[in-house]
Amino acid sequence: MRKRGLKFYAGMYRKILVQDLKSKMSYRADFIISTFGMIMTNLSGFVTFMILFHNFPEINGWDYHHMLFLYGFSLVALTPVQCFFDNNWNLRFMVQSGDFIKYCFRPVNVFFYFISEVFDVKGLGQLAFGIGTIVYAWIKIGIPVTPLVILKLLVFLLTASLFMIALMNFAAATCFWIKGSGYVMVIMFRFKDFAKYPSSIFEGIFKIIFTFIIPIAFIAYYPSLVILTPDNVPLLSWISPLYGLVFVYLSYKFWMLGVRKYDFTGS
Amino acid sequence: MNPKRLLSITRAGIMESLHFRLGIFVTLFANLIYLVLVYYLWKAIYDSSGTDVVNGMTFSDTMIYLILATALFNFLEMFVVWDMSRSIQSGKIVLDLLKPMRFRKYTFWSYTGNHVVQFVLTFIPTFIVVMIVTRGAIPLGLNLVWFLIATVLALIINYNIEMMVAPICLFTESTWGINIVKETIVLLLSGASIPLAFFPEKARMIVQYLPFRAVYDIPLSILLGKSGSDTWQGLVSLFGLQLIWLVVLTVCGNLFWNCAVKKVTVNGG
Repeated sequence: MRKRGLKFYAGMYRKILVQDLKSKMSYRADFIISTFGMIMTNLSGFVTFMILFHNFPEINGWDYHHMLFLYGFSLVALTPVQCFFDNNWNLRFMVQSGDFIKYCFRPVNVFFYFISEVFDVKGLGQLAFGIGTIVYAWIKIGIPVTPLVILKLLVFLLTASLFMIALMNFAAATCFWIKGSGYVMVIMFRFKDFAKYPSSIFEGIFKIIFTFIIPIAFIAYYPSLVILTPDNVPLLSWISPLYGLVFVYLSYKFWMLGVRKYDFTGS
Repeated sequence: MNPKRLLSITRAGIMESLHFRLGIFVTLFANLIYLVLVYYLWKAIYDSSGTDVVNGMTFSDTMIYLILATALFNFLEMFVVWDMSRSIQSGKIVLDLLKPMRFRKYTFWSYTGNHVVQFVLTFIPTFIVVMIVTRGAIPLGLNLVWFLIATVLALIINYNIEMMVAPICLFTESTWGINIVKETIVLLLSGASIPLAFFPEKARMIVQYLPFRAVYDIPLSILLGKSGSDTWQGLVSLFGLQLIWLVVLTVCGNLFWNCAVKKVTVNGG
């Protein structure tokens, strides 16, 4: 069943995506308000950031423009989870109501089918916001623009996005075991707000926890160091792509474990 | 209305939320991790600033403020918007409207049970942890009583904000969008994400008179003895602001709901 190949899944994703977009278009007011809401959350994050810097000129040796770069980096890195994995938010309702069973009866990968059902268009606003911030900070810091740097930026943005995807998979899958676990997702989603600060602020045991167990440090800090301090890149930055893949794989396994558990309790 | 009957709705709510015990412990645990994040961030910020007091807030003031704001957020959070849109979709709202009690009142009291549980199981433990960690930076005295009163007022104001927003879903068929706009505005302007004391002078002048402040900032300021709440005069003006907004929002909410409920019957029919 797994050996369908990438081409099959890509074709199917496209078909499901078109259906989803069509159904979204029928609720035009909802689409406009949701987009507006997304812009509002980004603006509010930005306002918080500005207020902070209005009072404190630097944080842990990071000045305004470097922090801005980190901020933009985190926004772009958080776009894939917003756009492609948004259906995770519906998981707990589906599991509770029993509607989830429909995904188990299709001859395709359950995780793939469930996740592909929703594509969140409003995440694109965040992407635009993030790119704008990165470009502005980039110019102000004066990082040279070479093809190699751009390539590095793209690779490490992709890397960074893996971690939030994995975290949200883990958080969503808790609902297979715990009733009323919706708050786990909410708090995980709030953790991401801390990705925009340099993780050098953590100390001791929490440095380890927030680097490896709840990898907030990898959502923006370590990957962005490759661009910001090209002469002095820590080892963790270089291994982050590998670690990201492992983390996503583990979250996928955890999610699928939940599905199997669901089969047993099935309604 | 007979208070005994209202309390029986509260009791049903308590039992309903206790059904999700594990969920509450997970919430508490997740909160603790969140608090660690807040702690390190603000510690780094204060370390880099070079001074101990910024805008009249010391490091421990800021910490207590933000931690208790998070705890209050859990305690005050209502899913009126979500619940209403779901019960409209399923048609359950018709049953609630038929109950021999006004809908707004019924909804409010059915949430109180959850508030009681959250207050005991998340707010009080968090409060105790804060007390221990900061070694008594929170003054204990009459301010606790005022804080409780302010929190109850905040609860009602918050409910009214929710009830103002929820009917909008009837018109727009957008739940997520409306809810996120509301939440963003409330969290930012109420001082839950960054204390109002840090806002630039001009912005603070405006934010000070908005109803959102009455939800988080006023109870917390009273608890910490800030914003002039250590004098009778200051205390009266803070409570006055809360009361004014309470009345305004209740009246507006009632009018708005009465208009919107006519729309419901069309949709649900």
